[in-house]
Amino acid sequence: MSSVRPGGVTGNRRVVLTGFGVISSIGIGAEEFTESLRAGRSGASPISLFDVEGFAHVNGCEVKGFDPEQWISRTPVRELGRASRFAVAAAVMALRDAGLDPADLAGRRGLISVGTTDGESYELDRLVAAELADGPERMDPQIVRRVSAARLSTAIAHELDLTDVEAPTIATACSAGNYAIGYGFDAVSSGEAEYALCGGADAMCRKTFTGFYRLGTIAPEVCQPFDVDRKGILTGEGAGLLVLESLESALARGARIYAEVLGYGLNCDAFHQVAPKGDSVAQCMSLALANAGVKPAEVDLISAHGTGTKANDITEAAAIRSVFGADTPRTISLKSMLGHTMGAASALGAIACGLAITHRFIPPTINHRRTDPECEIDCVPNQAVDADLRVVQNNGLAFGGNNAIVILGRYDRDGDIG
Amino acid sequence: MPILAEDRRSAVKEIVCDILELEEDEVTDTSLFIDDHGADSLRAIEILASLEKEFGITIDQSELAQMVNLEAVYKVVAEAPAR
Repeated sequence: MSSVRPGGVTGNRRVVLTGFGVISSIGIGAEEFTESLRAGRSGASPISLFDVEGFAHVNGCEVKGFDPEQWISRTPVRELGRASRFAVAAAVMALRDAGLDPADLAGRRGLISVGTTDGESYELDRLVAAELADGPERMDPQIVRRVSAARLSTAIAHELDLTDVEAPTIATACSAGNYAIGYGFDAVSSGEAEYALCGGADAMCRKTFTGFYRLGTIAPEVCQPFDVDRKGILTGEGAGLLVLESLESALARGARIYAEVLGYGLNCDAFHQVAPKGDSVAQCMSLALANAGVKPAEVDLISAHGTGTKANDITEAAAIRSVFGADTPRTISLKSMLGHTMGAASALGAIACGLAITHRFIPPTINHRRTDPECEIDCVPNQAVDADLRVVQNNGLAFGGNNAIVILGRYDRDGDIG
Repeated sequence: MPILAEDRRSAVKEIVCDILELEEDEVTDTSLFIDDHGADSLRAIEILASLEKEFGITIDQSELAQMVNLEAVYKVVAEAPAR
């Protein structure tokens, strides 16, 4: 869409975040999510969404108490898979949070982009179960119609009755939320779109739980990023959708501005299917900082990818140290609370960063006892702290070396940022 | 130390060759999966999972580091507890 490349010259328009839609295991809506981030709540509980018989460890971070019909009115909910329900509900929520009516957007060119790891694999699980139990002729056609991952974005356009939009689903796995936000940033800053509704969504599924379990990466009880005794991830689910618009548009309608998107960086090293490559993670941070016009010393907080595996945390912490050196800012992992929400992870991370800037606090890394000496960072253990944050970096790293990093800054009314 | 029966050894070899996409005469008891046959950690997990399924045993994930060649795999399978 845009010819602007990370690290190149950015477009003319400044881009701000004015609405958040959150569906997570620790809260639905920006307000509840903020409270849980501040309190350091854990979303972990025994998995109830699918059969976990035979597994020694069965915790995950499920969304509970979510009523899609509270948000989704135009689309029959039965037509939507679990991940699309999250995506659509979060998009409706984000618009309301931004004080925008879908009718206001109908005449304006927009972008809708949702990132995902698994698409509608929860629905695929159900089809495979039906096929194994009763044969392919017994697969429910209603469920079959839900499975296209493209629907995560197109279903939002349908629900909001927006026709002048591009609506791609971005499938770069666990950094896909940041990819979508980066795409929205380019579209709005270049003027090709008037607004963007971007983020990520994923539903927990047996396929992914089993896959990660087999890789030996599922933690027995809780996720403990950067802890010397960390034992892996917990699978999670949810959605985070953000409203991006130009600063001019936000000011003209008197919108609340959570934060400004200063820039982003993407790279893909294709080095290994599952192992992160430190050099390329560091390079991605440098790309993002250059694109944002920010020096490492100006970053006040990093929301790490921080999965809680041995491999990720050491590699990521070392990459951060190599870029930031003595100026390494506090570095937290939201996955300690949310589990790994896959394609939603970096979108929920970006929202948490925006909320941290707005409400002036740093969410903690919970379940923390002793920091791994090989992770030379202050992860803000267990207790949130008050902090005046001007620039925050949100990391997203994915299998295959798909790295995506977004930089947010505080927007002050006098126009002074950074 | 428990010794793996001959029929089991050939079943193990068949699984390993199938996963590493090798002919059986290309592999010796001591040739190394990673260094000699281009395997990686994901293939090793595939081997572990297939062995568990085939023999109804549980192999601890920490054994992966030992499972570098057929000889080592025979030993791990022989010592693995039944489910």
